[in-house]
Amino acid sequence: MPASTDGRAVTVSRAAAAVVTACLIGALVAVPLESLARVAAEGGLAGITRALTAPAGRTAIVHTVAVAAAVTALAVAAGTALALAVERRPARSRLLPRLLVAGPLAIPEFVLGFAWSQAYGPAGLTQHLTGLTLPGLFGPAGIIAVLTVYGVPLAYLAVTAGLAARADPALERAARTAGAGRLTTLRTVTLPLLRIPLLGAAALVFVTAAGSFAVPEVLGTPAGFGTMSTLVYTDLALSASPAAFTELAVLALAMVVLVLLALGPLDLWLARLRPAARTQAPPAAVGRRTAGDRAVMAVIWCYAIVAAGIPMLTLIATALTRGPGLAPVPANWTLANFASGLSGGAAAALARSAGLALAAAIAAPAIGALVAGLARGRWRGPLATVVTLAYAIPGSALAVGIIIGYGRWLDGSALIILAAYVAKFWVFGHRPVQAALDRLPPGLTRAARLSGARPAAAVRTVVLPPLTVAGVAAAGLVFVLAFHELTMSTILYGPGTETFAVVIMNTQDLGGVGATAALALVLTVPVVAVAGLAAWLSRRSLLYVPNGPGSP
Amino acid sequence: MTGTASTLRTEYAVACASLSVGYGRPALAGLDLSVAPGQTLALLGSSGSGKTTLLNAIAGFVPPLSGEIWLSGRLASGRGRLVPPERRRIGMVFQDHALWPHLSVLDTVAYPLRRAGTGRADAQRAARAILDQMGLGPLAERRPGQLSGGEQQRVGLARALACAPVLYLFDEPTAHLDASLRAQILDEVARRRAADGAAAIYATHDAAEALAIAHQVAVLHSGRLAQAGPPAAVYAEPADLTVAALTGPMSVLHAPVRAAGAGRYAIAVGDDRSTVPGTAAPGAASADPVILVRPDWASLAGPGAPDSPGTPDGPGAPVGCGAPDGAGLLPGTVTEVRFRGPHTDYHLATPAGPLLIRNSGPPRAGCGPARWRLLRVRLMP
Repeated sequence: MPASTDGRAVTVSRAAAAVVTACLIGALVAVPLESLARVAAEGGLAGITRALTAPAGRTAIVHTVAVAAAVTALAVAAGTALALAVERRPARSRLLPRLLVAGPLAIPEFVLGFAWSQAYGPAGLTQHLTGLTLPGLFGPAGIIAVLTVYGVPLAYLAVTAGLAARADPALERAARTAGAGRLTTLRTVTLPLLRIPLLGAAALVFVTAAGSFAVPEVLGTPAGFGTMSTLVYTDLALSASPAAFTELAVLALAMVVLVLLALGPLDLWLARLRPAARTQAPPAAVGRRTAGDRAVMAVIWCYAIVAAGIPMLTLIATALTRGPGLAPVPANWTLANFASGLSGGAAAALARSAGLALAAAIAAPAIGALVAGLARGRWRGPLATVVTLAYAIPGSALAVGIIIGYGRWLDGSALIILAAYVAKFWVFGHRPVQAALDRLPPGLTRAARLSGARPAAAVRTVVLPPLTVAGVAAAGLVFVLAFHELTMSTILYGPGTETFAVVIMNTQDLGGVGATAALALVLTVPVVAVAGLAAWLSRRSLLYVPNGPGSP
Repeated sequence: MTGTASTLRTEYAVACASLSVGYGRPALAGLDLSVAPGQTLALLGSSGSGKTTLLNAIAGFVPPLSGEIWLSGRLASGRGRLVPPERRRIGMVFQDHALWPHLSVLDTVAYPLRRAGTGRADAQRAARAILDQMGLGPLAERRPGQLSGGEQQRVGLARALACAPVLYLFDEPTAHLDASLRAQILDEVARRRAADGAAAIYATHDAAEALAIAHQVAVLHSGRLAQAGPPAAVYAEPADLTVAALTGPMSVLHAPVRAAGAGRYAIAVGDDRSTVPGTAAPGAASADPVILVRPDWASLAGPGAPDSPGTPDGPGAPVGCGAPDGAGLLPGTVTEVRFRGPHTDYHLATPAGPLLIRNSGPPRAGCGPARWRLLRVRLMP
C-alpha cells in the first residue's frame, strides 16, 4: 500500500522537522534568554531593583526609550510621506527614489555614524567649507538623526508593500466619487488601509533603534550619552565582579522585555489580521510627470545627499588623504591609510568575517525553509512570531545570553559568533521563504503527485524551484547583515576571533581616523557595489515590493 | 445621441465632444457621445477598447488630451478645466467592487453621506434605509471580506446609490459574477435607475447584457466609437464586421448575391437560390459583399427534405418558420446540435461557409444533411 507508507513517511518527517525546529529554537533563543534570566535573578528582587534604579541604568533606559521613540516618530512620518508622494507615480520613475531612500541600508551603522562625525562634526568637512557644524551631533540629536536615516527606508518599504498589497487604486477612486477630496481620501481610506503595515514598520523601527549599538557608541559615548546597549558594552568591558555582571544581565533582560512589550502582542495580532485584507496587486499607476513630482524628487535627492552622500564622500576623502586636517586635494592623496589599516590582524579578520557571513547566509535560509515547510496550520503564526522575536531581542542582550549559555564550551571560538548571527538573522531567512511558500497554490504538489511524483520528488521538482529566488535573496541579505554585524561581535569576540567590524571599531577607538575611514570603505564598498549591481539587474522586480521581512 | 452643438449639451446628463484621452498615444480618440437624463447607455467593447478609460475620464480621474466633457450642462473636463471627481455627483460601481476592507457595510454606504456633510448618526440611519431597501440590512455590520461576490457588488451599488448621483457609471460590474448573480445585479440596476431617473453608462463586454439593459448602445473599438444607436438597430444593422461580432452571435457567408429590388436580395448557395429581405452596410453595394446572418435570421428545415418532395407534411417538413413550400430552401449539413433550454443551436456546414442557426424549442434534427431557410440578411463590405 504505497499510500499508507507515504502517509507514514509524511508523518515521520513532520515529527522529525518539529523536533529539529524545537531544538533550534531552544538552542538559539530559549537557552540564551534562560541564561540571561538565571543570572539576572541571582541577586534576587533586590538585585534587580538595584540594577534598574542605579543612576547609570536608569539613565540608559530613559535614553534608549526616548531615542527609539523619537526615531520611530520621525522615520515613520517621513517614510510614509515620501512613499505616498512617490509610489503613486508612473512605474518607471519609482526606481530611483526607492534606491535613494533605501541606499543607506547597505551602509553599516557604525560606518555611517563615523562618516557623519567626519562630515558634520568639529573639524569635519562642513566646518572646513562653511565653518558650520551640526549642533548636537555628538549626543541624542545626532544619534536620532543617523538612526532615522535607517528608519525611513523601513517605513518607506513597508508603505510601498502595503500600497501594493492593500491599497487598490479603485478603493481611492471609490472614495473620490463618493465625494471625498484628496486629503479626506488619504485620511479616511489610504491611511486606514496602511494601518497594519505602518504599525509593523513602527515596531520594526523602534526595535532597531532601541537595539542599536554602533550609532550611540560612535556619536553618544564621546559626549557621555549612554544607552542600554552601550552601557552593556562598557560594563562588560570594564567590570569583572560577579555583582556587576548580574547588573549587566538585568539590564540586558530589561532590553528584551522592552522590545517584547513593544512587539510581541503586535506581531501575533498582525499575523491574525494580515490574511484578511488582501486585494489583487494594482495596475501600475500612469500619468505624466508634473511639477509636484519634480519637487518630490528634489526633496528626495536633498535627503539622500545630506543623509548619505556627503558623509560617504567625506569618508572617501578622509581615507584617501594623508593626515587629518589636510585638504583632500590630489597632492595629499595616499593609499597609506589602507596599508596601515589592513596591517596586523585586519586582513585575517576580513577573511573571518566573510567566512562567518557566508556560513550564516547558507544556514539562515536553510533553517528558514525547514521551519517554514513544517509550520503549516496552527503552528504557522506562533512560529513566525518566535522567529521574529528572536530578531527583536537586542543584539547586546542576545550576545550576553549566549556568552552565559555557551561561553563555557565555545569561549574563544568563532562558532559562538556564528550561533549569534544565525539566531539574530534567522528571520531574514525564514520570512521570504515563508512568503514564497505561501504564494504557492496548494494544487501544485497535488498535481505533481497525481503526475506520478513521490512526496520528496514533488517537493524537489515543484516546490523548491519557485523558492530559489527567495532563498538566494534571503542569503544575500543575511550575508550583508552578518558581514556588517558589530553589536554582538564586540561582545563575543576573543583573541584571534575578531571580526572585521570589530577591528574597525577598535581602530577608531585608538584614534586612527584615516585608517578607520579606509577600513570602513573596505567594509562598505563591496556590499554597496554588489547591492547596486543587483538592484540594477533586478530593476524590474524592484518595482514590485512584496511583503518581505520589512514588515514583521 | 451624438450631439456636438453646445446648445444641446444642457439637455444631457453627460456629453462628450471630440474627446481624446490617453498618455501620449490616445487610448480614446475623437469621441462624441451623450446620454439624456433617465437613459442608459451601454458601452460595449472588448478589453482594451477604452471603456474604462472613458469612464475614468468622465469620473474626472483622467484629464482629457483634448475635447470636452459636460455634466448636466456644466463643463467638467476640457478647456483647462478639471472638476475634481468628488464634485461631479457621479456614482460609480467598480469591476472589483472596490469595497474598503476596513469599513463595515453600513459605514461604506454611509461614507458618501458623511462626505456630503451629514452627521454620523443621520448618515448611518440613511445608509441603513438604503440597505434595507435593497435587502442588505442583515449584512450591515459585516466587513467586505465576509461577503460573497454578489453581496459585495450589491453593497457597491448601494454605495453608488448613496451618492444620490445624476449619473451612474458601471465598470463591468458583473464581470466577476456567475450568471444568476449577474441577473440579480442587472435587475437591481434597472430598478434603481427606473426609480431615480438618473442617467447611466454601463460598460460591458457582454453583448447580451448591453442589448438587454440599455436604451442606447455605443460600440467602442480600439479607442474609437465604431457605432452607436438603439440596441435593435445596432444588432440588426452593424456598421462593420467588428461591430457585428461585438454585438452578438453571427455567421458570415460567402456567396454570390445580387439586389432584387424593394430591399430584397437574391442569394445563391450551392445549386439553390433564395430571395430574402435585407439591408446593406455602407460600401457593401460596390465591392464583393459578404453576407452577415444572425442565428435568428435563418431557420432549419427537417433533414432529408429535398429528397422527399412529395411528403411536405412528413418528418421532412420545414420547422420553425412556417414556410409554405420547399422553395428557397438551401443546402447544408448539420455538424453539431446544442440544446440550450429555451432554444437550440444548430451548427451547419454550408457551401457558403459555416452557419449558426438558433431556433426555439428542443432539437428537431440530428447531425446530417439538412435544408435551411434564410429569413433576412445584411450585406457587409
